[in-house]
Amino acid sequence: MVVENPLPPFLIWFAGALAIWLGVVAAVSLVGFFLGWLAVALERGPREAVARNWQMICQAFQDFVRYISGSRISGLAYLAIKESIRRRVIAVFVVFLVLLMFAGWHIDPASREPAVLYLNFVLSATTYLMLLLALFIASFSLPTDIRNRTIHTVVTKPVRASEILLGRLSGFALVATVILIGMAIVSFFFVTLGLNHRHTLTAENLQSVTEGGGETGTLTGLTSSVFGHRHRVYVDVGGQGRVEVARGHYHSLRVVGSGPDARYEIGPPEGFLLARVPIYGKLEFRDRDGLDADKGLNVGDEWTYRGYIQGASPAALIWTFEGMSPRRFPEGLPLELTLGVFRTHKGNIEKPVLGSLAVRNPRTGLYVETEIFESREFAEVPEIKRLFVPRKIVNPPSVQIIQRKKNTPEGIVLSPPPEEVRPELTQKREFDLYEDLVDNGRLEVWIRCIEPGQYFGAAQPDLYIRARDGSFVINLLKACYGIWLVTIIVLAYGITASTFLSAPVAMVATIGVLVGGLFRDFVIKLALGQTYGGGPFESLYRLVTQENVMSELEPGLGTLLLKMADVIARGFLFAVASILPPLGQFGWANWVAHGFDIPWEHVLIRTLQTFAFAIPVIVAGYFFFKSREIAE
Amino acid sequence: MQTGVNTPHAVPEVVVETRNLTKIYRDFWGRQKVRALKALDLTIYKGEIFGLLGPNGSGKTTTMKLLLGLLFPTEGQAIVLGKDATDVSKNERIGYLPEETYLYRFLTGEETLDFFGRLFNMPAAVRRQRTAELLELVGLTGARRRQVREYSKGMARRLGLAQALINDPDLILLDEPTTGLDPIGTRAMKDLILRLKDQGKTIIMCSHLLADVQDVCDRIGILYQGELKELGRVDALLKVRDVTEIRFSGGDGALVDDVKQVIERRNGKIHFIGNPTTTLEELFLQIIRESEAHPGRRVRGGISGDGR
Repeated sequence: MVVENPLPPFLIWFAGALAIWLGVVAAVSLVGFFLGWLAVALERGPREAVARNWQMICQAFQDFVRYISGSRISGLAYLAIKESIRRRVIAVFVVFLVLLMFAGWHIDPASREPAVLYLNFVLSATTYLMLLLALFIASFSLPTDIRNRTIHTVVTKPVRASEILLGRLSGFALVATVILIGMAIVSFFFVTLGLNHRHTLTAENLQSVTEGGGETGTLTGLTSSVFGHRHRVYVDVGGQGRVEVARGHYHSLRVVGSGPDARYEIGPPEGFLLARVPIYGKLEFRDRDGLDADKGLNVGDEWTYRGYIQGASPAALIWTFEGMSPRRFPEGLPLELTLGVFRTHKGNIEKPVLGSLAVRNPRTGLYVETEIFESREFAEVPEIKRLFVPRKIVNPPSVQIIQRKKNTPEGIVLSPPPEEVRPELTQKREFDLYEDLVDNGRLEVWIRCIEPGQYFGAAQPDLYIRARDGSFVINLLKACYGIWLVTIIVLAYGITASTFLSAPVAMVATIGVLVGGLFRDFVIKLALGQTYGGGPFESLYRLVTQENVMSELEPGLGTLLLKMADVIARGFLFAVASILPPLGQFGWANWVAHGFDIPWEHVLIRTLQTFAFAIPVIVAGYFFFKSREIAE
Repeated sequence: MQTGVNTPHAVPEVVVETRNLTKIYRDFWGRQKVRALKALDLTIYKGEIFGLLGPNGSGKTTTMKLLLGLLFPTEGQAIVLGKDATDVSKNERIGYLPEETYLYRFLTGEETLDFFGRLFNMPAAVRRQRTAELLELVGLTGARRRQVREYSKGMARRLGLAQALINDPDLILLDEPTTGLDPIGTRAMKDLILRLKDQGKTIIMCSHLLADVQDVCDRIGILYQGELKELGRVDALLKVRDVTEIRFSGGDGALVDDVKQVIERRNGKIHFIGNPTTTLEELFLQIIRESEAHPGRRVRGGISGDGR
């Protein structure tokens, strides 16, 4: 699975995020205070404006902290729930069921990755429907109350504006939660039933395996074809059956009886719905001269996610893992690898390219090659290669001492230094992973391309230790929780927009936030000038004149004006992007679909981000609501 | 202790006070559209029923909304129960019946009162008790489980009154309280207003129906084009000082002639001599009372009993 922007460890993220959050909140508060002051000052003079603004801030503090009442909030939440029911929000669930019905006809379980297809579909449908639901109920609720004047009867009770907003938010959140739980349950059954299939196997399908001209007693054959695939089956002399993996899953095999009367019972598919818990290492590159490099080669791909290394050279992809111990992995290291392959001479493009897997002790430099593997350039689906580094490595294909070379201002630094190199280490033919190759919990895993003229490419998440498998159901629930968090953010923005805008305008504004949030990363890149083709105005000019994005514009007054306009536009874009939630990062559908466990750390970070956006937005809504006249 | 305005020597407690209260409605660009209320100075005391009168657009409802904090004054200030009108905490002691019944149509009568009870932080048991009492008071016990959408206008109005009383308020603001009510409902509303006054509550009402105001209000203020034109006690304002009315029963035509002669002898001017008429409201209520007492019987043709 591609992870383009991996999250840093929680504490590092938190420190940085908190500083940015405080800065943005302070800046927005100052702007808000100034605008509030200006509005009052025009009518009542500057001194009274300051006094009133200060009074309002104190009042806000009291309304959110001192006077807030659970009873009132629950009452208003109850009202929001009743209103949602009256607005027939259950229709969203019905639409979801109808969508699944049609999808059941169109999703092809015979595709190469049916689980990815099914899971992506249900999670995307759930996300879009939940967002639509949040948009409608949040944007229309308060303006409808104001238009019908039912709000008059409410605000003439001792209800704080904070309670009106929080009551609505919690009521709608509860409605969304119930609907989301319903969708998650239906999705689970839709996926498991959609992927379920049974193969058959009879004695006639099996043949004896021969080795060296003689029969080994093991039987092998292919199952019946279901959903466009078959599985190879092995039944050993003892009657134990094994079904090979095909299309990302396997089946259990039970052999009843023996000989020609034996019956073969193949179970339901297993391994479709995974939640792999990966342990990632830190990726470094070694170039063809054997020097450490910051990044790999670019093989002309616009997508610079993967860095490449040259085959049949000292170049290598090196992942350093921390915390390796026999307690964690007593049998050895189960690795999974996704490689990019680039062939400079194509020949038979179906022919795989050879590579090697090795482990190295970062202190002694002992390098032990454990496996030679094949990798294909063109695979119908990204191929996840399962590799294993055993605890006891016996007669490895290659053993040597490799010194890492780092280019520093003082010259090339070797690790280990020459005086610490111990060539006698290579004399052994049997190695213990932890005693010989792990240093203080650290271990290097090296991937190299063996064939000349060919290249291997990888990004950091492309190799990981598959520590264990988590629960798929919990993983699905985590993904649904991610959808719930986005729903809460949209609800908060929608409710706040509806405090000062009419319902349709509030909805359009919230859609704007939603779309902006989904493309926030791009907007920030654009604001920081990290995109090709200049800022918004320069890009527009290039679009109209069909100018190449890479070429420089002709110097002159026009170009100068364009660049100046872009400086202003970029400042504005940066300010806007800073208050937009990074909604694009909340989608965990890919994790679930590709069978990766969503780390709890991510869950915590996204939860904090949700609060970090929802709370200031609701506070802003409070000020908008307090400063407007309810009766107009 | 009640310190109503009728108590001669006690210093009346001020419940509502407005000073130079002004409201100007502006358009989007801040230009003045209309001056709805001009420098209103008003003091309303505890225990009185105060009526705000005036034609459409005179500023009655604007005044009411300013007192409730639904609108912000352009100039001046309104103090309600000792607090600024925009202070939400004053609402703890206020009940408000809006001009139209602005209730959630998808709630039942019972749910409506329970909901508003929650807004006053009332415990569940108190809410239940208060809801039952108020539904009984406004005659909606039988309809408590019906959604407000199914209520007639009069029923919704009564439920609106019930919600205004849920917190047993000290100050009750009633905007057109008898609108949409039938004569029985109107009388019941007026009786209730008088009962609330007897309980020491202060009531501010505005109405187009002058008879209603006359029946219940202690003092009135008459607004016209946003300005307070008249303010005072109802009985004092309505008294016609140079005309004397004598009403008596018994006697015959000769007695009437004697009275006429005495008035003429003393240079008095007779404006009218005849039998007084009752009000249509009185007639209607009398017919309803008699119909309830004797079902199936035609009551009478009219006040004279001859059916003409």
